Amino acid sequence: MVLSGVTKRFGDVTAVDGMNLEIRDGEFFSLLGPSGCGKTTTLRMIAGFEYPTEGSVRIQGREMGLEPPNRRPVNTVFQSYALFPHMTVAENVGFGLKMRGVGRSEIAERVARALDQVQLAHRSDARPSQLSGGQQQRVALARALVNEPAVLLLDEPLGALDLKLRQAMQVELKELQERVGITFVYVTHDQEEALTMSDRIGVMNEGRLLQVGEPEAIYERPTSRFVADFIGHINLVTAECAGSGMVRIGDGAEVAVPGVQGAGGKVTIALRPERLHLTAPDADIPAGANRLRGVVRRRVYHGDGFTYEVAVAGTVLEVRTENTPGLVRYEAGSDICVYWDPSAANLVED
Amino acid sequence: MTGRWISRLLGLHSWAVYVFFYAPIAVLVFLSFNDNRLVTVWTGASLRWYREMLENDQVLSAIRNSLIVAGVSTIVSVVLGTAAALGLERFRWRGRRIFDGLLYLPIIIPDVTMAVMMLLFFVQVFGLVELAFGPKIGLGLATISLSHVAFNISFVAVVVRARLAGLDPALEEAAADLYADRRQAFLHVTLPLIMPGVLGGALLALTLSLDDVVITSFVSGPGSTTLPVYVFGLVKRGVTPLINAVSTVMLVASMLLVFVSLIFQRGDGKVPQGTRQ
Ligand SMILES: Nc1ncnc2c1ncn2[C@@H]1O[C@H](COP(=O)(O)OP(=O)(O)OP(=O)(O)O)[C@@H](O)[C@H]1O
Ligand SMILES: [Mg+2]
Repeated sequence: MVLSGVTKRFGDVTAVDGMNLEIRDGEFFSLLGPSGCGKTTTLRMIAGFEYPTEGSVRIQGREMGLEPPNRRPVNTVFQSYALFPHMTVAENVGFGLKMRGVGRSEIAERVARALDQVQLAHRSDARPSQLSGGQQQRVALARALVNEPAVLLLDEPLGALDLKLRQAMQVELKELQERVGITFVYVTHDQEEALTMSDRIGVMNEGRLLQVGEPEAIYERPTSRFVADFIGHINLVTAECAGSGMVRIGDGAEVAVPGVQGAGGKVTIALRPERLHLTAPDADIPAGANRLRGVVRRRVYHGDGFTYEVAVAGTVLEVRTENTPGLVRYEAGSDICVYWDPSAANLVED
Repeated sequence: MTGRWISRLLGLHSWAVYVFFYAPIAVLVFLSFNDNRLVTVWTGASLRWYREMLENDQVLSAIRNSLIVAGVSTIVSVVLGTAAALGLERFRWRGRRIFDGLLYLPIIIPDVTMAVMMLLFFVQVFGLVELAFGPKIGLGLATISLSHVAFNISFVAVVVRARLAGLDPALEEAAADLYADRRQAFLHVTLPLIMPGVLGGALLALTLSLDDVVITSFVSGPGSTTLPVYVFGLVKRGVTPLINAVSTVMLVASMLLVFVSLIFQRGDGKVPQGTRQ
């Protein structure tokens, strides 16, 4: 599936802005972004509920143009599930097949198989209102999957579930996707969900697609300040280039950052708190590591670890340590040394 | 002490209200079984006036006219009113806002004004038709039915629209997503879900049509008298127990309609979900 130059305007609001995206067959692709960034609008243009103001959507090499939703090889799992309240579970699941003129016995067979797949075979005669939220969610999933679409679109399908059920469904969904091998386009504003489930993630902000990549690439090597900041915790430090491979931060301390060229330009470097290490001011550190001396300002306990705020070289860095046995704790006010491997730093665009 | 008095007074008051409501009905029904020619003089129980009603050609023709008008105007206004509700609720088009306001005009306009309007309109149109093509058309069942359609559309549209407004638009999108074309989506999803509203609108239209006197009497012609108009005419010539019998029949019919509509409204509750979020 290919989106090229897709733009959608509602009056003077630009919901999606010049989006170029290629989604591979059979992949679990997540669209991640804050509320109002245009995720739902993108999905609706793929489904055919909205048409792009500019640009084109191709699915399986076919230009979608103004094709209505019923003539697109995609199915949607709605956030509200949108189960038909006047039909039984089995009728809901069989609806798409019935509309396509599939024979009765084949419908019955495929519906049974689809309901089996989501462990709801025993509730096939129930009405949607008689099911729990998680069960309704699974019916919505079966109703879409039974049609064997080329692409399945899911708009925050787990948004209405509580945390426990949500986590269970994440695993279930991912397994199901691997089993059926259908391309999933999954919309979420939950970064953890995107990181754990996706083959690739596209991060959006204000209608623009900022970065596309595998979860690790998105997390470890964000290319923009927004992506770095949106996903997980991160230290963003403004620095001045000081010759090849070196930057000057805050009060003038120089540290190594791979990929820096020239001198005098301003850059922003991103450092994950868990990639920074603390040690006593005069302790040995691995060769080649960057080191900065500083003072512990604050220590926060998280159960599985600690977060330190450390004042170094005119800025404040967040450092995360795991709660391992024998861990040395540093009190607020103590002198300290922060060090990290140069490869842990990342240049991002503002 | 005073508390007890107040609750007694309140109890008395509600009794008084009920008597005020239902005593006339009881009197009407009771006297319809009176054998005497004079309504107020009780001589004995009989079904004389019911028999007379069934033997009276004018009454029978009025009943027949009423049923035809009510049937035709209900069917037509349900179709048009539902379409109007769908158009206003589901589609965006130029002039929708204006149309939205205009649609409810017949509900607000006084009956007499509406009646005069309709009469003038028919007279003008028929005059033009005669001038242009020659044939002379008169007032009759067709004009009554048309007038009833004119006000019933609004009522049906209001009721159906309320139902539509409570329907999650995602349901119709889901239908389209599952390969239903517009017609199939309407038949399999939208229509079943708004059916309680459509039936409620139909019953309302039926009741309003069967009850209407003012508009009907303006636009009816010779031989096209409906039952309420006929009863109204009888009263002017003095009340006979025949009126009581006819009125009792209308009362029972109305009550049946209300009863049926209550059953539908109960059925309404059985269609849960589908609410907007
Ligand atoms: N039908 C519409 N008419 C006008 N503006 C719209 C319409 N649909 C969406 N928008 C606007 O487009 C922008 C993107 O909306 P969209 O629903 O795609 O965001 P989202 O990323 O799905 O957000 P959320 O996480 O809150 O669901 C928003 O500013 C929204 O107000
Ligand atoms: Mg959304």
